[in-house]
Amino acid sequence: MARGFNQKFEQQQAPAFFVRGPSVFARLVFFAALSLALIATDSRLQYLKGVRQALMSVLHPLQVVANAPSQLYSATNEYFVTHNHLLNENQQLKQRALKQDIALQRLNMLALENAHLRKLLEANQSLLERSVLGEIVHVGRDPFTKKVIVNRGEVHDVVAGEAVVDGKGVIGQVTRTYSLSSEVTLITDKSLAIPVQIERNGLRAIAFGHGRDNTLDLPYLPTNVDIRRGDKLVTSGIDGVYPAGLAVATVSQIEITADSPFARIVCVPTGGVENHKQVLLVSIPQLGSPEISATTASQVSAVAVSQVKVTPTLAKPENQQASPSSKLHASD
Amino acid sequence: MQATKVKTIYLSLLLAFIGLLLPWSGFMLTIRPDFLLLVIIFWLIRAPSICNLGTAWFAGLLMDLATGGIFGQYALAYTATAFFAVMYQRRLVLFSGMQQLAYVTLLLLTSQISLLILKIFAGMQFIGWAYFLPTVSGVFLWCVAVFFGLNAAGRARGD
Repeated sequence: MARGFNQKFEQQQAPAFFVRGPSVFARLVFFAALSLALIATDSRLQYLKGVRQALMSVLHPLQVVANAPSQLYSATNEYFVTHNHLLNENQQLKQRALKQDIALQRLNMLALENAHLRKLLEANQSLLERSVLGEIVHVGRDPFTKKVIVNRGEVHDVVAGEAVVDGKGVIGQVTRTYSLSSEVTLITDKSLAIPVQIERNGLRAIAFGHGRDNTLDLPYLPTNVDIRRGDKLVTSGIDGVYPAGLAVATVSQIEITADSPFARIVCVPTGGVENHKQVLLVSIPQLGSPEISATTASQVSAVAVSQVKVTPTLAKPENQQASPSSKLHASD
Repeated sequence: MQATKVKTIYLSLLLAFIGLLLPWSGFMLTIRPDFLLLVIIFWLIRAPSICNLGTAWFAGLLMDLATGGIFGQYALAYTATAFFAVMYQRRLVLFSGMQQLAYVTLLLLTSQISLLILKIFAGMQFIGWAYFLPTVSGVFLWCVAVFFGLNAAGRARGD
């Protein structure tokens, strides 16, 4: 009896249960310090960019595995789509293509005319955008930011700063690139600002994402500003990042209060910020770059980017002030 | 025995991580429980000699990578949570089901609140009370797991 008790007692004192290496508090201090060092390094310095890219490519297979079920589901859905539905859709698309062809013919004529006029004025503006068609793979996982991940990366010559558009308007900007994917910050994100112009009267402003709901704000405009509900905002292009003339948002609400010198203007994005799958990544306009990539010319015209084809012989030095790197986005 | 347990632990952590990588969106993204943290808490209570602060820190680093945020935010939040779990691990094992549930709720809140503080320091904006929904769904998931016979205290007492 006593022996049994002793054995039991000794077993309880078996060190395996208590030996834990360094104390828990020491470990906490160590890992917390490491985390804080990482936070400081990553938010203030650029050293971890390469590390992040390398780790992301390691993570890529996992991502593919995680995306497989939903992709299988949508592929099956596509397979079982009815004949009738396809015919209908085909009909609609043909009609739309016809309409757009006509619009495009006019656009080409106007572009030529514009080119001639610009030559006469000796002004040079050669905005030739290259674009890559991408697909949204998944929504960003951070609840604090509005981001999506697109399946085009550095391998496809995507660089940070490119504008991302869908059929209806700008939806965001590439803020980080990995080798096979890139991260797009949506225009509704709080940290993204986009220079816009009111289509009706050419007034310039900067639109900021609101962050919480899918709207944009136009801050710092005086109460007597000439903006009405329904006004369309287009990119002004003066930032040298977004091509000029892309639709951004529509003014939906104007509030003027007596206690504030500024009007509170809320806009709703034109592009399907939350509901499209295919997007176009338009590269940063290169002022005075002569060649157009033949493969992408058709894609560019599909978005009806207001592009002007002018020979760069009249390039003036002051026209090149808008450097491609003048990015307006304050990356987190 | 030890080897299989290590394998089980890492496999479950991997599965939880893949669960987080699934293409969640909209409301589902808002209420998605933090699978990875739940699995870590489970193993912290059950096998503290294998799953420890280091594991939690590394898992947090993976989360930072997956969310695309600043490195170290999730890592710090997970480490702090793991610290409180390991500190009271021996008492947790003796707790009843309800007490354990309450403690897990506190742990999940610890992680979310520390993450919130870090994010706000980094210049983000509080996104409303819906931010705390993952804690609620996480506790619910824990209940479901306990109901189906998963016992966090289980073997740690007998081993």
